[in-house]
Amino acid sequence: MASNAVPLRRPKPSRRIGWIRGARAILTGLRITNGHFMRNLWGFIRRKPTVFTVQYPEQRVPMPPAFRGMPVLVQMDNGKERCVACGLCEWACPTDCITIFPAETADEVERYPDVFDIDMSRCMFCGLCEEACPEEAIVMSHEMEIAAFSRRGTLWHKEDLLTPVESVAARLSHIRRGYERPEAKPAE
Amino acid sequence: MPTITIDGKTIEVAEGTMLLPAALESGVHIPHYCWHPKLSVDGNCRMCQVEIEGAPKLAIACNTPVRDGMVVHTTSDKVESARKGVMELLLVNHPLDCPICDKAGECLLQDYSYSYGSNESKTPEPRRKLEKRKDIGERIFLDQERCILCRRCVRFCREITGTSELAVFNLGHTSVLDVLEEKPLDNEYSINVADICPVGALTSKDFHHKLRVWFLKKTPSVCPQCSNGCNVTVQHYRDRVWRVMPRRNDAVNDTWMCDHGRSGYDHISAEDRLRAPRLRDGESLADVGWESALDTVAQRLRAAVRDHGADAVGAIASPHLSNEESFRFARLLEALGVERVALPVPMGDSDDLLIKAEKAPNARGARDLGLGGDAGGPRALLEAAAAGSIKALYVCGSDILHVEDADLVERATAALELLIVQDLAMSPVAERAHVVLPSLSFAEKDGTFTNVAGRVQRFHKAWDAPEGQLSDGEIFSELLGRVAEAPRGFSAAAVFDEIAASCPAYAGLSYALLGGDGAATTAGAGASE
Repeated sequence: MASNAVPLRRPKPSRRIGWIRGARAILTGLRITNGHFMRNLWGFIRRKPTVFTVQYPEQRVPMPPAFRGMPVLVQMDNGKERCVACGLCEWACPTDCITIFPAETADEVERYPDVFDIDMSRCMFCGLCEEACPEEAIVMSHEMEIAAFSRRGTLWHKEDLLTPVESVAARLSHIRRGYERPEAKPAE
Repeated sequence: MPTITIDGKTIEVAEGTMLLPAALESGVHIPHYCWHPKLSVDGNCRMCQVEIEGAPKLAIACNTPVRDGMVVHTTSDKVESARKGVMELLLVNHPLDCPICDKAGECLLQDYSYSYGSNESKTPEPRRKLEKRKDIGERIFLDQERCILCRRCVRFCREITGTSELAVFNLGHTSVLDVLEEKPLDNEYSINVADICPVGALTSKDFHHKLRVWFLKKTPSVCPQCSNGCNVTVQHYRDRVWRVMPRRNDAVNDTWMCDHGRSGYDHISAEDRLRAPRLRDGESLADVGWESALDTVAQRLRAAVRDHGADAVGAIASPHLSNEESFRFARLLEALGVERVALPVPMGDSDDLLIKAEKAPNARGARDLGLGGDAGGPRALLEAAAAGSIKALYVCGSDILHVEDADLVERATAALELLIVQDLAMSPVAERAHVVLPSLSFAEKDGTFTNVAGRVQRFHKAWDAPEGQLSDGEIFSELLGRVAEAPRGFSAAAVFDEIAASCPAYAGLSYALLGGDGAATTAGAGASE
C-alpha cells in the first residue's frame, strides 16, 4: 500500500538545553513525590492521616445534594408511586431508557404506571427526567452502586425503583431551589 | 367565482363558501374549535376571528361567506390580540390536567395555548369544580371541567346520528355539558364525539389511560369489520394496534366510523398467534418449517385431485382476504382444477349510516374475482364433506365458524382425508386440520379491499410481521409455484395489475390511480349512481 504519510520537519532541541531541562524535571518530580511521602509518613507516625483516601466500600463520603445518581420513583404516604404516568420523562429522556405503560385505578389519582422500567445500562444520569417531571415523582437519588452481572440485571422495574420520600428529601429541596419551584407542593 | 385575498395570497373559491374552509383549503391555518367540516356552523368559540378590510369589527371566519374582492388578514395584531383574549377566557376554568389527559399531544387547546395562551392566570378565584371521569355511556367518559363548550359533540349527536343524547345544560357561566340520566350516550357511533372533541372532555374508555398519543405511528388503512370499507388510520406502537381512528373520505365515511370498527384488534398481537406451520403427527400437531409444510400441502392436494378427482376437493375462501390474495387463490384452485368453492360471509346488523350487514371487508372483491361459489354456499360444501363426497378441503380463515353451526362444521371436518387450514390463530377447525398454515392480519400486509358499493381501496402494512411469517398471498403464490409453472413471488401492486388486466370490472385501475381515497370498479360506479 502506498503511504500517504508526510514527513514532518521540526527543529531538533538543542542538546545542551535539553539536558538541563531533563535534569530539572526529574528533580521537580522527586521533590513532589518526596514531599508527599514525608507528609504521609509524618501523619502515619502521629496517627493523624494527612491524605484524602477513602477506604471504599468500608468507608463512604456523604454526597452533596447536587449529586445525580440513579433515578428513583418517589412514594406517596400510602406507599404507592407519586407518578401519574404522564410520560414526560420518557419523552425528555435523551437515551430512551424509560418505558412507561399507564393504567387507571378508582383512586383519587386515577392514573398510575402499570409498567415503569428504566434500562440503567442506557441511563446517562443527565437528570432531564427529574426536570421534566411535574409531580416530583422521579428524582435523581444518591444511589450509584448499580452494576450487574447481566444485561437483564440492569433493567429496573417499578417495584425496584420505589423509594420513600425521606430518602430523597435533600435532593428534592435542592431541585426546588434550582428550578425555582415553591418549597411546598401545591395542594392537590 | 369570487376571488379573495387571504394574507396576501389570492385564491378563487366557489360562491357561498365560508371563509374558514376556503382558508384551510388554500393552506392558511386559522385556529378554530367549534367549526368542523362535516357539522353545521355554530360560531360559538370565537377563535377563528379574522380582520376583513372595510369591515368595522373582526368577523368569525367560519360564518362569513366569501365575497368577491375580499381582503382578509389572519395574523394582524388585532386578530392576535383577539385570539389571546379568547384563549384567556377558555383557560380561566380549564384544569391543569394535561399530564394525565389522554388528549394531550393532539389537543387543540394545548396547541393554541402555546401560540396564544398566557403562562399566568389573572384570576385569583379557584377553578370551577365539576364532575370528572363521569360515565355517560358504554364507551365514553365525560370530564365537565375540561369542556370548553364548543358543542361539536352536541351537533354530532343531533345532526349525524340523530339521537341527541348530549346537550349543554344551564346558562351563562354555569353552562355544563351533560346527558340526561335516562338517556346515556350509547349509540353505535359514540366514540366519534371523542375524536371531534377539541379538548379532553370526551374520551374513549377503550383508550383511556392506555398510551401517550405521540408514541403512536399512523398507517392509512381500511376498516376490516364490515363491507362498508370505512377509511381508517391504524395507530400502532410496538407492533400492536392501540386504536383505530376514522380517516376522511367523503365518498365513503366522511370523517366518521362506527364504534364496533374501533375494537377487536387484540387478536393481532395476541400471544397465541400462530407463528409457524403445523403438520399433523398422529393425534397432535407439530411445528414444521415452511418448505416442508408447503411441499406437503402441494403434494397432498395434487394427490387428492389425482386419486378422487377435482370434484372431491373443495375450498372455503374468506371475505377477509384482500383482492390480490383472492385472485391468487382463484389461480391456485384453477391450476388444481378445483371448482367447488364457497365463501362464508358473516352477517349482522346494519343501519343506513355506515354499518353494513356483511361483517367482512372484501366479500364483494372475492365474488368479483371468482371465489363466490355457487348457490349452495358453504353449507352445501360442508354437507358434501360430511357425506363423504368431498375428501379434501382448503379452509381460509375462521369465517365458516361464524356462518355455519359448529356441529355441521365438526361432522364435515371429521370426515375429511385432508384438511388444510390457513388462519391467524388456532380455531376448532384448525384443531382438526392435517396442515395448519399461519397467515397475517390486515395490519401486517398491503392490499386492497372492494367495499359493498364496489369501491376499491388500499390498506397499508403497519408493521413488518416477524421474520419467517408469510402472508396469505405469499402462501398461495408459493403453492401455485409448486403445482404449476408460475412465479413464486408475491407483490400486491403487481398482482393488482394482473387483476386489472384480467377482470373487466377492475379494468384500468392501478395502485397509482387508487391513491389514498380509492376508486370505484366499473360495476361499482354504475351501482352507486
